[in-house]
Parts: sequence; C-alpha cells; structure tokens
Amino acid sequence: MQVIIMGCGRSGSSLASRLEAEGDSVTLLDPDERAEDRLPAGCKGRFIHGSGTSRPMLESAGIAHAEAFVALSPSDSANIVATRTARDHYRVPRVIGRLFDPARAPIYAELGIATVSAVQTNVNRVHHLLHHRGLEPEQTFGNGETMLVRSFIPDYLGGRRVAELNVAGEIQVVEITRAGYSSVPEGNSALQPGDFVSFAVASGSLGRLRSFLDREWR
Amino acid sequence: MSRVLVAGGGHLGLQAAQRLSADGNDVTIVELSAARASELRHAGIRVLRGDAAVAATLEAAGALRADVLLACTGADEENLLISFVAKRHFAIGRVVSLVNRAENAWLFDQSWGVDAAVSPMAALLAMIEQESAP
Repeated sequence: MQVIIMGCGRSGSSLASRLEAEGDSVTLLDPDERAEDRLPAGCKGRFIHGSGTSRPMLESAGIAHAEAFVALSPSDSANIVATRTARDHYRVPRVIGRLFDPARAPIYAELGIATVSAVQTNVNRVHHLLHHRGLEPEQTFGNGETMLVRSFIPDYLGGRRVAELNVAGEIQVVEITRAGYSSVPEGNSALQPGDFVSFAVASGSLGRLRSFLDREWR
Repeated sequence: MSRVLVAGGGHLGLQAAQRLSADGNDVTIVELSAARASELRHAGIRVLRGDAAVAATLEAAGALRADVLLACTGADEENLLISFVAKRHFAIGRVVSLVNRAENAWLFDQSWGVDAAVSPMAALLAMIEQESAP
C-alpha cells in the first residue's frame, strides 16, 4: 500500500517504520527538515521537506496514486484541511486524521473523516488504570468507550446463566472458552468455574463487571 | 449597516474592525487569546474570547444574524475551518478569508465556504508586475 504520512513526529515516524517493515511504501511530509532525524536508521520511508497543504509537495509525494493519507501533524486544523483535501480533491480512498482538541471533533464528524484522538484515548486509559486495576482490556473500540475484557469465571459464579451477567447497554458476554474450545453462548448457557469469558463492556461499567468477578478473587 | 464578525484579532483583524466600525457597521471580533482579547477591549472593540472554528463560539458572537464574516487569523487552516463553519452552520452571506501563505491559495474556495480570498502577497506581486510592465 502507498501511504502518505503528514507530520514526522513521534507518531508519524514510528507508524512509518512499522508500515515500511510490513512492506508498505511510505512517504512522509514535514515542514521541519530536522524531523527526518526522527526516522529510525534503516527505515526506507521517503522524506519530503514541505507542507501537507502545499499542492506541489503533495503531488511530489505521489498523492495522485496514494492509497492512504494519514495526518499526524500537531495542528488539528492542518490535519482537517489536509485530510479533506486528500479525500475530496485527490480521491485518496483512505484518510485518517489525528485530533487533539475534542471541541474540533464535530467538524471531522461532519466531513466524515476518521479520527484518532490521542487525548481522549490517554484520558480513558489513565482513568482506567487508576480505577480498574486487574481487568485489562484486550481491545478498545472507538475512543475507548467500549472495550473487550477477558476473565476467568470464579468458583462462586459456577452454574449461573450467561443472561445473569449481561446488563443491557453495559455488559455483554460475547464468547466463552472452555477447555480450549471457544463458543458464542446463548443466554441460558450455564457458566462453569474456570471458563475464560470475553465481555464487551462500556468503559463506565468496568467497575460494575469487576465487582461481579472480584468478590472472592483478589 | 452590516453586522460583521471578524475572526482573529491580530493587526489586520483589529484594523479591519476599526475601519468597519468607523464606517457605521456593527463589528464583533472573535479572539482566541485572553490577553489579546483584553487589549482589543481596551481599544474599544466588542470582543468575544473563544475558538472561532467552534460553532458554539460563532453563534455566541452573533453568527445567526451576521451578514459578513472575515476570517483573518494567522493560520490558513484555521481560516478555512472558520469559513466552513460560518457558511455551513450559519449560512453567512459573505465569507471573506485572508490567505497568509501564497502556496495555500488554491485551497480557498466554495468547498470551504469561502466567497472571496484575499492574499496580500498575491496583491503585492500584482502591483510590482504592473509597475514593471513597459
């Protein structure tokens, strides 16, 4: 895949070296020529000293044939303008922009551009570590509002029905692994001690799930 | 008399606001920096402190009744977003934007809600070309 990354900071350079290592072809754009130094030695990504909103720079980065454009500059507005231009002007099929200020999120949403919000993710993650030690999410969705959590079923929950653990809109049992075999359970399936269960949980309900599972566990 | 919103109270925004007020227009500046906002207030201009690219701020500044918006912050991308919000959310009749860097001029069009873009550098160069024409 041909990828253009605008912004060769910590995120841009490490994304570039990872994509290059996986066989993608990456071009980085950054208005600061010293930014190139952040690329690890051995990363074959091409570096162009220039702005991600300048037409000649975008075109020399190969935007006409790019399959993805990722805007990771420190400016929210530059990221919004560049991603929209890449998508609407150059018809780049996949565009992703980074967002710092949550107040700018509605503009991205209006333009239909996928965003990653480091601030929101960090806040959610730190909040989680402060309050829910012990239940680590395997995977988070969106900005961390929903997570996938896995846990062994403690003895005292043996014999309970899956439906008793489900809480509408908050907690949902999505999978049970028993003796190495995984299945998608029905509501009336009985749990056994030692089952390894995956839950989809709203981030605000993690405490509630933990209190279900923790009673004699810690 | 027109109701005018000026987004960005730098040198240019302040001068435009003063000139437009003197001509009898009803002018409000939207300025991000608190320190600059209080300077502008001392200069006798109505100021709302806030981010002009956020719809709620523009609305508080009177965007629903404004006739003209002038986007003149020092960052072209900000000017584009402000123009976009002004046109898309408030259908302000005339949206005029400053172009700070000539290389960004190509972006300033109706897709961002810009009715007219003003590039001082382009104007300057045009003057020089006129002068040097035989």
